[in-house]
Amino acid sequence: MTTTTTRAAPTAPLVIKHPIEPDAEPAVRLHDVRLTYVTKEGALLDAVDPTSLTIRAGEFTALVGPSGCGKTSLLRIIAGLTPPSGGEVQVFGQTPKDAQRHKRLGLVFQEPALLAWRSVEDNIRLGLQLNPRETHSSTDVNQLIELVGLSGFERYRPAELSGGMQQRAALARALAIDPPLLLLDEPFAALDEITREQMRYELQRLWSISHDPTEPPRSAVFVTHSVAEAVAIADRVLVMSPRPGRIIADIPITTSRPRRPEHEHSDRFINDTAIVRAALRSPTTTAVPLDAA
Amino acid sequence: MVTEPIRDLKQRDAPTPRRIPLSSPDVRPLLAWILPPLIALLLVAVTVELWVRVGDVSIWVMPRPTGVIENFFADFGRYFSEGMKTLAVSLGGLALGTAAATLLAAGVAHSQILERAVLPIAIMVKVTPVVAFIPLFIIWLGYGWYPKIAIAALITYFPVLVNAIAGFRDIDPRMHDFFRSVDASTWEIFRHLRLPAAVPYLFASLKISVTLSLIGAVVAEFFLAGHGGLGAVVWIEQNNLRLEKVFAAVLMLTLIGVTLSTAVFAAERLLSWRIDQPVSAS
Repeated sequence: MTTTTTRAAPTAPLVIKHPIEPDAEPAVRLHDVRLTYVTKEGALLDAVDPTSLTIRAGEFTALVGPSGCGKTSLLRIIAGLTPPSGGEVQVFGQTPKDAQRHKRLGLVFQEPALLAWRSVEDNIRLGLQLNPRETHSSTDVNQLIELVGLSGFERYRPAELSGGMQQRAALARALAIDPPLLLLDEPFAALDEITREQMRYELQRLWSISHDPTEPPRSAVFVTHSVAEAVAIADRVLVMSPRPGRIIADIPITTSRPRRPEHEHSDRFINDTAIVRAALRSPTTTAVPLDAA
Repeated sequence: MVTEPIRDLKQRDAPTPRRIPLSSPDVRPLLAWILPPLIALLLVAVTVELWVRVGDVSIWVMPRPTGVIENFFADFGRYFSEGMKTLAVSLGGLALGTAAATLLAAGVAHSQILERAVLPIAIMVKVTPVVAFIPLFIIWLGYGWYPKIAIAALITYFPVLVNAIAGFRDIDPRMHDFFRSVDASTWEIFRHLRLPAAVPYLFASLKISVTLSLIGAVVAEFFLAGHGGLGAVVWIEQNNLRLEKVFAAVLMLTLIGVTLSTAVFAAERLLSWRIDQPVSAS
């Protein structure tokens, strides 16, 4: 990862800050948020049980849990894409809608979801182009392209890139608006194992770089299936129960940053993953088998 | 597909994008593509020519192909200028029908109520033989260009409507989520997401409607034979039993049809980011 540090060398006013700021306005505050679906047959289906949660500014939070436990639903509620059935959501003290309006959210999905008719560079610029009144980010897109390792591929169409490169472009698109909150929904799930392991450290690096000194340090909510991925990158791992989803464990990961791949062989890492795995298997969660969809 | 870049890109030359060239400088594939139908066409013409000459077929039944070609070039000015009239009607109708259908589709794609209100009417008009409206259009719009353009427009709008609705709706839901996450306006979502997504669909429907517009124009010209156009030429010369001229006019129509279709295919390759088959217009 030595090349990483040289590439991240600040040639423009990059602010590298990732200490958690406990006194700042929290990035996310959920109070008794729940989500109930009405199925086609008219039955009520609880997707997310009442959940209260505070994510501090600068905190990288991973959300792990079995498939269908409501991780993605919770993420969509924070992003303001799914209205909760009850409870209160605040993002930097605002409603999610206001956070959208001020472009304070950076979304990355499981699939890259790029516009097929635009070049890589134009895809990355998309967030800057939309809702232009709120575009005050000083992001240098060319520098961002270099940071995500896509230099030379600016004019390529998404279909001409590999899955990993597409996901880097999607990451760059989310970062282009320099959002103080990154929301990532299993962003590396569709990638092969080797690319996946690389990407988590790239994400750590990109997350920690910000251009806008007026914004709080960047926070992230990272939904993943992979315990190793969560422990490797997060400051805090939240474990959710099977549906209806509810947070059953809140595990701090105190390893210092920047973290390196070698860390994944340390006793501490192995210990932390064991704690998360134990929480996933704990008796309170196994009313429904863990692998149940 | 390009492989994953190695970590230190700076040490590598920036790759140049590799694309498939649209036109190959090698003419052999083009000849292989063009020669078989040309030879087949020639064979048909020669057969007809022999049949007419040897069988002594009456000129009132079938003219000699050589006679048709001769007449076509001898009176080329007339066929060309009448052809331009037909082309104008066809293109006018296509433009009007496509614009109206695209606008309507944009509305329908955004509103379920509008869809339920408008689609049944659109389908009713579609299943009614459009030709039946020509006498009405002549009464309403006068004896001239307008009723002809109206018929060409009416006959083209439906495939465009169906395909445009499908195109405006065929958007990646996650992409839509991204647009919402930065509070993009409905117009921005339309301009940057729905409209480009619909382009392949629009071209697919244009391939159908471009030939339909020509049919509409010619049929309308039968009714308005005093106002010119190749349809009028066919109608008048058929009444005069000058079949050579009928065939020469049809030949010009074929050339116009081929040109229009080729133009749509060329425009599609130039402007569309994906080549599609049309959505069934039923």
